Amino acid sequence: MIALRGVTLIYPNGTRALDGIDLEIAKGSFVFLVGHSGTGKSSLLRLLYREQRPTSGTVIVDGVEVDKLRRAKVPELRRKVGVVFQDFKLLLDKTIWENVAFALQVTGARTRDVMRQVPRVLDLVGMAHKSRVFPNELSGGEQQRAAIARALVNNPKILLCDEPTGNLDPVNTNEVVDLLHRINLKGTTVVVATHNALAVDRMRRRVIRLEHRQVLADDERGLYHGIESESRADGEDLALAARVRSGLGQDPILSE
Amino acid sequence: MQVTAIGTVTVMILLLGTVLFAQETLGRIGGNEIAKIEISAFMSDKASPADAKRLAAALKRDPRVKSVTYVPKAAGLRQMRDRLRGQIDTSLLTSNPLPDALRIRVVDPNAVHAVADVVRKMPNVANVEYQRDFVDRLLRLYDVMSKVSVAFIALLVITAAIIISNTIRLTVYARRREIAIMQLVGASGTYIRLPFICEGLLDGVIGAVLAVGLLAVGRWQLWPRLESALPFFPLQQADSNFGLFALQLLGVGALVGIVASWISVGRYLRT
Ligand SMILES: Nc1ncnc2c1ncn2[C@@H]1O[C@H](COP(=O)(O)OP(=O)(O)OP(=O)(O)O)[C@@H](O)[C@H]1O
Ligand SMILES: [Mg+2]
Repeated sequence: MIALRGVTLIYPNGTRALDGIDLEIAKGSFVFLVGHSGTGKSSLLRLLYREQRPTSGTVIVDGVEVDKLRRAKVPELRRKVGVVFQDFKLLLDKTIWENVAFALQVTGARTRDVMRQVPRVLDLVGMAHKSRVFPNELSGGEQQRAAIARALVNNPKILLCDEPTGNLDPVNTNEVVDLLHRINLKGTTVVVATHNALAVDRMRRRVIRLEHRQVLADDERGLYHGIESESRADGEDLALAARVRSGLGQDPILSE
Repeated sequence: MQVTAIGTVTVMILLLGTVLFAQETLGRIGGNEIAKIEISAFMSDKASPADAKRLAAALKRDPRVKSVTYVPKAAGLRQMRDRLRGQIDTSLLTSNPLPDALRIRVVDPNAVHAVADVVRKMPNVANVEYQRDFVDRLLRLYDVMSKVSVAFIALLVITAAIIISNTIRLTVYARRREIAIMQLVGASGTYIRLPFICEGLLDGVIGAVLAVGLLAVGRWQLWPRLESALPFFPLQQADSNFGLFALQLLGVGALVGIVASWISVGRYLRT
């Protein structure tokens, strides 16, 4: 579904963001992307929806060489790839319904399809009862679920999330992570860049760790601090291990 | 903001229309003068009327030549007498000093010199005369006039385009979040551009309509008064089709609006 081959990204100002990344993400999988701030998680996601083009290397998304994609073909890619951000990016002068419908309308969808798809995704994220409400009248968790609904309304094959729980408290974080899990179970490939140890450790899914612009580790059933932390914690409570490390200031949620 | 854009287009189209109109009027006046320009080719003494007629026939085949009139010496004298009547005592002209002549008119005033040169080299032509200075000065005037008005019009169009483009850029900026979302969820470039292009088009068309309205007022209210105030000045009523003229000006307004907004949205979307 997703493949990166020898991908290097250097921003126009000379900043190196990614250095020779090779990785594959299978169709229908759920992947966490972790690593310190500035190691290139967001940059990697941007390559996948062609917000950025790699300086060198190949990026393949759903069989398409995204790095060589002509500008006119980008909308087609974007309809296959839903994206969710930490700050939701909802339009504040539109209701939740309008925000979700907007994403469909601007792709030229027919009213009949809008009327069918919008309730479906609002239902899926549990926001059907708040569809007439404006974003500012909602909690962060609710806004993020609305944003996820918007990302899903085009029926994308892939859902990319850049720190989706970054602005949420633990309860809302769990809700959103559960929601992403459910979406994944329905067959959507989900990639989540995150600093949230709780979310990663709860899910025990594939974890790709970036460090110094490169892939440092790639564990099938990973943990936020790496699976070696499990063995080192030997017999210790996993959550305790996470909390100990968060004491070192590595985890924004727990160090709050 | 919209008002600024529309107002600029109005001023642009108004000036454009006035310049084109003035150009046409002056062109017509100048055209009358140019139509009077004649090359006189005087035949040598040895040439027979048949030679002159053969020459006239040859010249008529030249595409630059509009008309050739053969003026035998007797007719030439009569014309000269008419022309000089009252100025000198033409009865003093006892014998006819004039040779047979050809009067040649050209299609394009720019070709006068060239045609005159050709005629001069023809057999049996003794002498060629025409108002060389007058032709030159007229041509130079025309040249300067058209260059100045082209520059002026270009300046107007560019100004209007820049102002529309700025207006659209402000609109785009105000809606940047919406545009970002549209791009994110896969709206096509055309879909995103369309509303802004329409806005630019509307600015252009509304401005042009206002200007055409003002021009129409000028054409039917002011022009007749000007004509009666200056009866000695050869201001003939423009016989051109005002409807077509108006349509062309509307087209210019629309085009400037579309191009300006296209460029400004395009520049925004690329970054
Ligand atoms: N648009 C940009 N122009 C120039 N440099 C950038 C740009 N975006 C990111 N960078 C740089 O690229 C590097 C990787 O940034 P990126 O945002 O991908 O990191 P990240 O892993 O997402 O960090 P965080 O966890 O804080 O979100 C950083 O050094 C950053 O300063
Ligand atoms: Mg980031």
